[in-house]
Amino acid sequence: MASRAPVANKDWLGLKRELPRRRQLLLTILSFVLPLGLWAFVSYVPFVWRPLVHITSAGDVDYFSEGMDVPRADFESENAKMRAQKMEPAKGCRVNPVYLAPPGAVAKAFYTAFKTPPRLPNEPWLHESLGHSISTIFWGFFISSLLGVPLGVLSGTYRFFARLQEPFIEFFRYLPAPAFGALCVAILGIDDGPKIAIIFIGTFFQQVLVIANTVRKVDPALVEAAQTLGASNWKLLWRVIIPASITDIYTDMRILLGWAWTYLIVAEVVGAMSGITYFINQQARYRNFPNVYAAIVMIGIIGFSMDFFFAWLGGLLFPWKRKARVGKKKRAWMPAFDPKPASVAVEI
Amino acid sequence: MLSELKLPDYREQAPEVAARFRRIKERPIILSVRRLQKTFGADDAGHVALSDVSIDVHRREFICVIGPSGCGKSTLIRIVAGLDEATGGEVLLDGHEVCGPGRDRGMVFQGYTLFPWLTVKRNVMFGLQMGGDSHSTAEAEARQWLDMVGLSKFEDSYPHELSGGMKQRVAIARALANNPRILIMDEPFGALDAQTRCQMQAYLLQIWKKVDVTILFITHDLDEAAYLADRILVLGTNPGRVVEFIENPVPRPRSAAQFISPEYLALKKRLEDVIHPQVESAEEEKLPMVKLTDAGDEVE
Repeated sequence: MASRAPVANKDWLGLKRELPRRRQLLLTILSFVLPLGLWAFVSYVPFVWRPLVHITSAGDVDYFSEGMDVPRADFESENAKMRAQKMEPAKGCRVNPVYLAPPGAVAKAFYTAFKTPPRLPNEPWLHESLGHSISTIFWGFFISSLLGVPLGVLSGTYRFFARLQEPFIEFFRYLPAPAFGALCVAILGIDDGPKIAIIFIGTFFQQVLVIANTVRKVDPALVEAAQTLGASNWKLLWRVIIPASITDIYTDMRILLGWAWTYLIVAEVVGAMSGITYFINQQARYRNFPNVYAAIVMIGIIGFSMDFFFAWLGGLLFPWKRKARVGKKKRAWMPAFDPKPASVAVEI
Repeated sequence: MLSELKLPDYREQAPEVAARFRRIKERPIILSVRRLQKTFGADDAGHVALSDVSIDVHRREFICVIGPSGCGKSTLIRIVAGLDEATGGEVLLDGHEVCGPGRDRGMVFQGYTLFPWLTVKRNVMFGLQMGGDSHSTAEAEARQWLDMVGLSKFEDSYPHELSGGMKQRVAIARALANNPRILIMDEPFGALDAQTRCQMQAYLLQIWKKVDVTILFITHDLDEAAYLADRILVLGTNPGRVVEFIENPVPRPRSAAQFISPEYLALKKRLEDVIHPQVESAEEEKLPMVKLTDAGDEVE
């Protein structure tokens, strides 16, 4: 009889079965390497795509000039005409469109974008743009949370508040935040005020509903247990409902922060364009596409690492959620029971 | 099998058992449920969960409540705990009507319900602090109770690090730390495996011996009821009502050896009879006609 290897080691596609650590790591790396590889493949390997021809010498073609990118079909047909008329055909090499910046150039742009001073004296540096964006997000999200979290908790705890505010919020949440752009500018001017307001509008209403829902999901048995132990009203709210839902609220906040980032781009075109959106727009205007990609990827990296940071912070803040680390569960063996006389003992 | 045995009447009590019940009856009545009524839904069309339930419980009695599912045993104890409101009748604790949950009635639930964000020690301290004890007083008290249930070593663990039996011991310590008049337990060992369950039953009796508390214990396990209870309250369905309040004839201290004693078997038979009356004949009639081939024992 052949001894059977553990199934987990053979099976890459085990249904709902966790993979071994090394495979997890390998797949994580692959999930980034594969798209990158595809990008590099299209960018660097000739004849994969390259739909344009970069003119190196115009020959006798009237409207071609050196340094111009023309579609391949036009290039071929013009050159055929030239040859038919015994004139000099244009020369060029096949290239990808300028908006497909190769990974190498983008990687370089990561470095140079921070080092290159802006073209115009009043334009911000990349890091200034990023800083501006982050502070816009921060204030929008902060003000929203300052109001949204308490309202959500109240709404999830007391039917009174739920009935009072949720119908209106439910309605308001369908109004797209960008629709308020013009109004916000009229009220708050063209600087950061309307931008923060857009992020607030985009976040706040969802936040109240999402958090109310999370608080409503607190196990009623925990509340009842606390009641039989003598907790009531505010103590019940402070000592049971909030701690019982705080980890889920925290997770909600992480997700909501992600949404706030999507509102950022909308917010930044309201009024005077600013922040990372302004940077991206300017760079696209200069046809400096590696910088455009670099800035977009930068947003991804900032969002991703913020989420990572908050996940790590969550582990520190909520030690009871730190389930036994991977693998063996730390579980104490039930100790022998040796009842000792307690102070409350009475004779039977 | 049980019916073929020659069993004593379950109401016959050995002299020491009879003496114990006499002593219990001399104690004051701690909990009195009077003509309790509970209807769910609209008044006339509603489902009657409890109809005219009246019981008296003496101080330091151990009462088990059994009955088929849907007999309203959970409803009854939830009303006693103050978590549900009765539609009629009253519940008196020490002569005062209860309204709403309170510290005088501790509760242990089947689902443990420990607060996952608090350590074991802080779970036990919770009720004490709700009662206004300072941190240090509550801490000292909680330590004593954890010592009592044998979990001192785990005072700084979080509930998720404990096994089911240990969690339930913490829950018991947490409920008892409040010094309640009665301890209400809703199938507390229902989620535990058979072995841990036996262990926990023994623990519970040992704890009860040391603490001045009356216990109201719901179970659907007849053996558990027979092992733990002084008196067993049997509820019936449709509507939920008291069928019988049986005095347990098995002498204390109890042990597993008694599971084959005549008193135990007599009690068990009586419980079987009142809980599943004429189950066999009824079941047989209802069996659907299914084509079955009699394969016998042979397998090819």
